[in-house]
Amino acid sequence: MNRTIIININSIVFHIEEDAYDTLRSYMIDIKKHFGNTAESKEILEDIENRIAEMFNERIQTGRKEVINLDDVQQVIEQMGRVSDFEESEGTTLEEDVGHEQRTGQAPHVEYVGKKLMRDPDDKMLGGVCSGLAHYFGIEPIWIRILLVLFFLLGGSGVLAYIILWIVMPIAETRADKMAMRGEEPNLQNFKKSFDEETKSFSETFSGTGERIGRGARTAGNLLSGCFGLIGKMIAWIMLIFAGLNLLGLFIVYVFNMMNFFGLENPIFFPPLKVLSTNEGVIALTFGFLAIAIPFFALFFWLTRILFKTDKLNSYLSLTMFAAWIVSIVGIVYYCIAASQDFREKSTINVQKSIQPQEIYYFTEKDIRVLDASEQDSLKSKFNIQLDGQDLRNYLHRDISIYFENIDSLSQPYIQYSYSAKGKTYQLASERAHNIVYEAIQEDKTLLFPSHFLLKKNALDRDQQVTVTVYLPQGAKVVLQQEIEHKIRDISYWECRNNYPNENQQKYTEWTMTNAGLRCAQPPKPKEEEEEKEIVESEKKDSVIRIDGSNVTIEVKDNNVKINTKKEES
Amino acid sequence: MIAENTQTQMRKGILEYCILSIISRGEIYASDIIGELKKAQLLVVEGTLYPLLTRLKNNGLLSYTWKESSSGPPRKYYQITDEGRAVLSRLDVTWKELVFAVETSLQGRND
Repeated sequence: MNRTIIININSIVFHIEEDAYDTLRSYMIDIKKHFGNTAESKEILEDIENRIAEMFNERIQTGRKEVINLDDVQQVIEQMGRVSDFEESEGTTLEEDVGHEQRTGQAPHVEYVGKKLMRDPDDKMLGGVCSGLAHYFGIEPIWIRILLVLFFLLGGSGVLAYIILWIVMPIAETRADKMAMRGEEPNLQNFKKSFDEETKSFSETFSGTGERIGRGARTAGNLLSGCFGLIGKMIAWIMLIFAGLNLLGLFIVYVFNMMNFFGLENPIFFPPLKVLSTNEGVIALTFGFLAIAIPFFALFFWLTRILFKTDKLNSYLSLTMFAAWIVSIVGIVYYCIAASQDFREKSTINVQKSIQPQEIYYFTEKDIRVLDASEQDSLKSKFNIQLDGQDLRNYLHRDISIYFENIDSLSQPYIQYSYSAKGKTYQLASERAHNIVYEAIQEDKTLLFPSHFLLKKNALDRDQQVTVTVYLPQGAKVVLQQEIEHKIRDISYWECRNNYPNENQQKYTEWTMTNAGLRCAQPPKPKEEEEEKEIVESEKKDSVIRIDGSNVTIEVKDNNVKINTKKEES
Repeated sequence: MIAENTQTQMRKGILEYCILSIISRGEIYASDIIGELKKAQLLVVEGTLYPLLTRLKNNGLLSYTWKESSSGPPRKYYQITDEGRAVLSRLDVTWKELVFAVETSLQGRND
């Protein structure tokens, strides 16, 4: 008993046996590939189909033989000729001495022409994805499996890739599919060879166990719910919710980040995007979103398929999604490389500004984020509107270091500013360095250092730094306010502050410029520390203090104090 | 390889010439053409014929009409066009020249 399929060639209906259909189908696909996709080839194919229909017609005898079997198909193909025969008569393959499998003309990528990426139901651990990939790349499945396990160990990305591929890759169900998967397709000899092999061994087993496995693989849901039952379902539900929430979160982050790029500023901002311009940032953000969201979406969809037994995702859609995923990962890598290229060269510009000599210099910081009504300097006007909350982070940079150096006691004090920035070329870097605006303001004895620096023209973040070196004549007295402490390098503000008697209330430190640089003017505190140490040590000892006369003992043990009172019973 | 290539090229040209000659005798159906060619041992498989017919038709040397068939689908009957006839007469001349050339060359070899 054989199953038959009804086909329609040129408006004539034929009943054809399943295996015969497979053979015919792969033959037609072969021919289609051979002739390409031009208007002319359409006509040729029509003629061939017509002729095949006619030949079938000749073979059918009403009442006696109404079904086309494999024998008929093979004879028809024999008569019509295989692709290799066509090639021979057209003389196309002859320039290449590789043989019949290779076709020229419309298909230059000969090696993979016939290969299709499909899951292999005959050689599978879970879904046949690995063996399918192995067939596609022409290697042993074990290597793909090892690679997958490695990916799984490296952050679990292998699982997502596997799930996506499971959804995307169709299963090779028919013999023609399997041949396409193995890339044996191009000519009929191969097909016949495979068919002969298969009819011997494979068909019996396939109809039995193979079929059952194949069916199991078709719906992964059956497998999962069958094995794990209720627990599996619960896990699936949790994962579904997890994936759903992740998708939602990603979407929110994406939308708000986008709003930032388009001028609707808000606190949700992914800092690394700052190194990209708006246009690049929008694309990079989209890539990033897709790269993370697509696996979650695939997981989400897969789980809904299991839980609600919904239909498989349209294969074009899933293939598109998979392609988009690959593209976005490539895109992200590209932007990472492109952005890092822009940090290759460093340029530094030095500017010296003299300051008025004073006996004593007060160094303090001016927090430019705070509006000061009495301020008259030019910096203020630049902030007029943007000076409001998070806005500033796009315009303000705080990589500022202050160093102190000594010069001859008779020399004029001055400040040297070093502006540095990075770029793809040295020239770009120096252009960026030129865009840094930073300068201290002297108000008599006080030197005000703004807390942040600005970039002209709203430049991109390119590791801009400002190094300030203050050259003071030896003997000059310096008072450092606590506000400026975090900008000071080389000397320790806190060590000096510890020398003061009430260090916690001390809001400034005094220093003197010597020939070895700035020295703390406050002499260290005497002794106090030692006493403290002794106390600490004595505390650590467990001790029992006896207070005679009143029968009370105070016991100190392991930081517990126990007071024992013994009342005399009399 | 080169021998095979030359063989193919020779067959190819002659095949087109023969097809044109066969069709020039009158309206004919593709599978009848095949029968003739098979008889002449020029053609092994049918599939080769269709691209040739289509090419000749697209070059204006042939035309066809659909005709109902008693058994099966309607058939394409080919006939030669005036242009085809002109080409054929030119080919006749060429063929004679070729035969002369080949015979002369072969004689020279046999001597």
